[in-house]
Amino acid sequence: MSGRPTTSVVGRVRGRLEGPNTMGNTNGFWIAFAFAVLVFAAYPVLFGASAANRIAMFLVFALLGVSLCFIWGYCGILSFGQVAFFGVAGYTFGIVTINVTNYTGMTLGIVTAIGVSTLFAAVLAYFMFYGGVRDVYVTIMTLVVAIVLHTFMQQTAGSEWAIGDARLGGFNGMVGIGNLGIGVGDVGITFDGVAFYYAALATVVAVYLGLRVLVNSRFGYAMIATREDEDRTEMFGYDTTFIKFVTFTIGGAIAGLSGVLFVTWGNYIDPSQFAITAAAMPVIWASIGGRESIIGTIAAAIAIQTLEFQFHDQWALVIVGSTLVLVIVLLPNGIAPAVRDVLVEHRRPASPAPSEEVGD
Amino acid sequence: MSVSDPTIRTTPAVEETGETSSRILQTRGLRKQFGGLVATDDVDFAVEEGELRCLIGPNGAGKSTFLKLVTGRHEPTAGSIYYDGMDVTDLPTHERVDRGISMKFQVPSLYPELSVRDNVRIPLQRVATPGEFEARTRETLERFNLLEEIDTVAANLSHGQQQRLEIGMAMTLEPKLMLLDEPVAGLSIEETAEIADLLEALRAEEEVAFVVIEHDIDFVERIADRVTVLHQGAIFTEGTIEEVKADPAVRRIYLGEGA
Amino acid sequence: MFEFDLYRVLSFAFQFLDSFAVIVLATVGLAIIFGMMGVINLAHGEFILVGAYATTLAFHAGAPLVLAMVIGVAITTVYGVILERTIIHRFYGRLLDSMVVTFGISIVMIQLTRIAFGNSLPQISTPFSSIGFGPYSYSTYRVALAGVALLTLVSLYWLFTRTDFGVRARATMQDADTARSMGVDTDRMYTSTFAIGSALAGLTGALYAPARSMNPEMGSGFLVEAFVAVVVGGPSVLLGTPLAGGLLGAVNAGFTTLGGTFIGQVAMLVAAILAIRLMPNGITGLIETIRQKRRERA
Repeated sequence: MSGRPTTSVVGRVRGRLEGPNTMGNTNGFWIAFAFAVLVFAAYPVLFGASAANRIAMFLVFALLGVSLCFIWGYCGILSFGQVAFFGVAGYTFGIVTINVTNYTGMTLGIVTAIGVSTLFAAVLAYFMFYGGVRDVYVTIMTLVVAIVLHTFMQQTAGSEWAIGDARLGGFNGMVGIGNLGIGVGDVGITFDGVAFYYAALATVVAVYLGLRVLVNSRFGYAMIATREDEDRTEMFGYDTTFIKFVTFTIGGAIAGLSGVLFVTWGNYIDPSQFAITAAAMPVIWASIGGRESIIGTIAAAIAIQTLEFQFHDQWALVIVGSTLVLVIVLLPNGIAPAVRDVLVEHRRPASPAPSEEVGD
Repeated sequence: MSVSDPTIRTTPAVEETGETSSRILQTRGLRKQFGGLVATDDVDFAVEEGELRCLIGPNGAGKSTFLKLVTGRHEPTAGSIYYDGMDVTDLPTHERVDRGISMKFQVPSLYPELSVRDNVRIPLQRVATPGEFEARTRETLERFNLLEEIDTVAANLSHGQQQRLEIGMAMTLEPKLMLLDEPVAGLSIEETAEIADLLEALRAEEEVAFVVIEHDIDFVERIADRVTVLHQGAIFTEGTIEEVKADPAVRRIYLGEGA
Repeated sequence: MFEFDLYRVLSFAFQFLDSFAVIVLATVGLAIIFGMMGVINLAHGEFILVGAYATTLAFHAGAPLVLAMVIGVAITTVYGVILERTIIHRFYGRLLDSMVVTFGISIVMIQLTRIAFGNSLPQISTPFSSIGFGPYSYSTYRVALAGVALLTLVSLYWLFTRTDFGVRARATMQDADTARSMGVDTDRMYTSTFAIGSALAGLTGALYAPARSMNPEMGSGFLVEAFVAVVVGGPSVLLGTPLAGGLLGAVNAGFTTLGGTFIGQVAMLVAAILAIRLMPNGITGLIETIRQKRRERA
C-alpha cells in the first residue's frame, strides 16, 4: 500500500502521511480519525463552552506529550525536560504580552516564546549530544535542567524579579498573561473561550499530521535508524549526532508551542509546571499510550487527564501510577501497539522475544 | 620449525615514494592502545584498488580493532590513514562513509524490527530519490537473492539471509572500499559458497576493493588475492594464500594460540 | 574581622560535613542497585520514606530510638525484596523502562502514604544538642552523620572486596553470563543486592527521621542529590560515591555559605550538569582514562 506511486491528489497526500513508521495506514483508520476529529469539533456544541474549555486544556497537554513521543519513541531520547521548554515558552509569552498589551504583543509573544524555547532546546541538545552524553545520562541531565528551573523560579517572588512590567512572581506564579491572538496594533483576532478550544484542536491535528509526514520522510527513517542502532547508522553515512540534535530541537519547539497554549488558556503560569511530578506526566502519557505512536500518546494524555479530573480526589494519582506500572509490566510498548496488533494481526509477526528488547 | 626465519617476518616495506594513486587504502604507523594493551601495533598496510585482501590471525590479533580504526569507530593513538590518496585520520565515521568506505559488522546488525524493504531504505535513501526507492530496492534484493523476503521483518530471516542483506545494504552506497568482518562465520557450507559467489560477482561488476576478516581458510583460499596475517596487533607476514599456508611460523602462531 | 572569617571557615566545614552525609547516604543504595543491575530506581526516595516513617511510627509507639531505627531498616528491606520479586526483577538491564516503572511505583507510594498518614507525622526530636559559635549554630547529630556515612562506605568496601559474597556480587556485576556459567546463582545475587540497596535506603530514612520533617514528599528531597551523585560518580560505585559526595558536597557547602541554601542547591545542580558534560562516564570513568594515558606514556 505504501510506497506505490499514486496519481490522484488524495493518493499523493496519503502517500506522504502513511508509512511503516506510523500506526494507522488503512481506510478504516482514517475514517475513525475523521470521526474522532468531528466528535471533538462538535463537543462545544453538545456539551457547552465550559466543558469544552476543560477539554482544551487536555489537548494542550496532549501536545506536550507529543513533543516527548516524537523524540523518545522515534529517536530513543528519553527526556524528563519537556516541561522546561513548555515553561520557558509560557513565561516568555507572559513577559512579552504583559509588556506589550495589544495584538502586536500577542503575535510577538507567540513568535518569541517558541523561538526562545527552541533555542533553549538547541543549546541544551548541542551541549549534550556533541559532548558525548548518551542514553540514561541524557535523561538525567534533562531532569536536572527541569529541577534547576523549578528551584530558580520558586524564589523569584520578590519585586526585583521583573522584566519590564512582568513580575516573575516566584511560587505565586505570573499573573495577567495575555490571550492567544494574532494581529497588529489594535487590529486582530483573539482566541478565547470556544475559539481557543478550536485553536487548540486545530493545532493538535496539524502537529499530528505534520509529524506523520516528517516521520515517514527520509529524516524520519534516519531518526528510527538512529534509535535502533546508532553505530550501524553512522556506518551508512548518517551523522547521528546531528540527527539527535535536530530531533531534540524540534521536540523543544513543540513543547514550547504547547507552553504558549497553556498560558493563554489560564492567563497564568507558576513553577509547579516544572516540578518532578509535572516533568513525569509526558513520560506517563507516552508510556501508557505507546511511545512509538503519536496518536496513542495523544489519546492517553486526554484519557489520563480526564480520568484524573473525574476522580479529582486523593485516589486519582494512585490509579494513574498503578496503571503506569501495570502497562509497563504487561505491555512494555504501551497500549496503542497492542490495539493495532489486535485490529490488524496479520500485518506484523508476533513481537520479538523479550530478550531482544533488552537493549531498549 | 624451531628457529624463526627472519626474512619471513619482516613487514613488507611501504614504498617511500608516497605515491598512493593506485592505493585505495593505506595506513602508516597506525597504533591503538587500550590502557596497557596494544591492540594495533604500528601497522603499515596498503590495499590496491579493486583488490580483495583477507586479514587473518588468531583471536585477539587485533583484526577487528584495525577495521574499526579504518572506519573511525576508534580513534588511533598514533599514525595515519589514507583513503584514495586523502588523509582521513581525523574524519568522523559518517564522512568516511560518504567518501566510499563501507563496512559489514561481525555480529549481524540489521535493524531487526524493520522489514527488509525498510532496512534497505536506510542506506538507499542517501543515494536515491523517493521515486527510485521501490525499483532500486527490488534491484538490490534481486541481486542478493532476497526479493521474496521483501516484506519479512529482518529478525525473522535466516542467518545466511541476514549476512546477504547486510552486504547488500552496504553495497547500496556504491562503496569503493568494503570492509567485511567475518562474513561467513556460522554459515553452512552452501551458504558460505553463496557468499563467495556473491563476492566474485560483485568484483566482476563493480570497482570495489575488499578487506575481509575471516577464519575459514578454504573460503579465504577461494576469494583472496592476497592475505595479511596479523599477530598481537602487528603485521606478521603478507603474501598469497599459498605462501602464507606454507609458512611454518604462521602455523606456529595459530597452534600456539591454544596453549 | 579575623574572627568573622574563622566562623565562616567553620561554618563551611560543618555545612560540608552535612552535605557530604546527605549525598553519600542518599546515594549508596541507589548506586549499588544501578551498578549491579542496571536499574535506576526512581522510587529510591520513597524507600527512604518507608524507613523514615517506620522509624518514626515505632518511636511514637514506645520503642527506644535505636531500636526504632533497626525496625525502620528491617521494614524497608522486606519491602524492597517484595517489590524486587514482584515487579523490578523484570526490568534488569532495561534502563529506561526501569526508570518509568519505578517512577510509577514512586507516585503510588507517595499518594498512599498521604492517604494513610495525612500530610505529616510528628517529628522525633533531634538527639544531642547543637554546636554554636559566633552567629552560627549546627546540630551535632547531623554533623555526626558524616561519620556514619564514612562508616557505611568502609563497611560496604569491606563487604564487596573482602567477603565471598562480595566477590560473587562483583563477578555478577561485571558479566552475569560468565558468573552464571561458573555456578553463581545470579538471581539470588540480584535479590540480595537489591535487599542491601533497600536496607541502605531504610538506614538513610531511619537516620534522618529525627532530622527532617516527615511528609509524603520527603523522598524527593533525597532523590535529586542521589541521582546527580550516581551520575557524577560514574560506573565504579564504591569509589565514585564518596568522590561525588565530596565534590558536590564541597560545591553545595561553598555556595550555601556564600549565598544561602538556594544558591547552594542551584550551584550543585549546575556543577552536576557540567560534570556530566565534561566527564560523560563520571569521575571514575575519568580516572580510568587518566590511568590509561599514563600507562600509554610509560
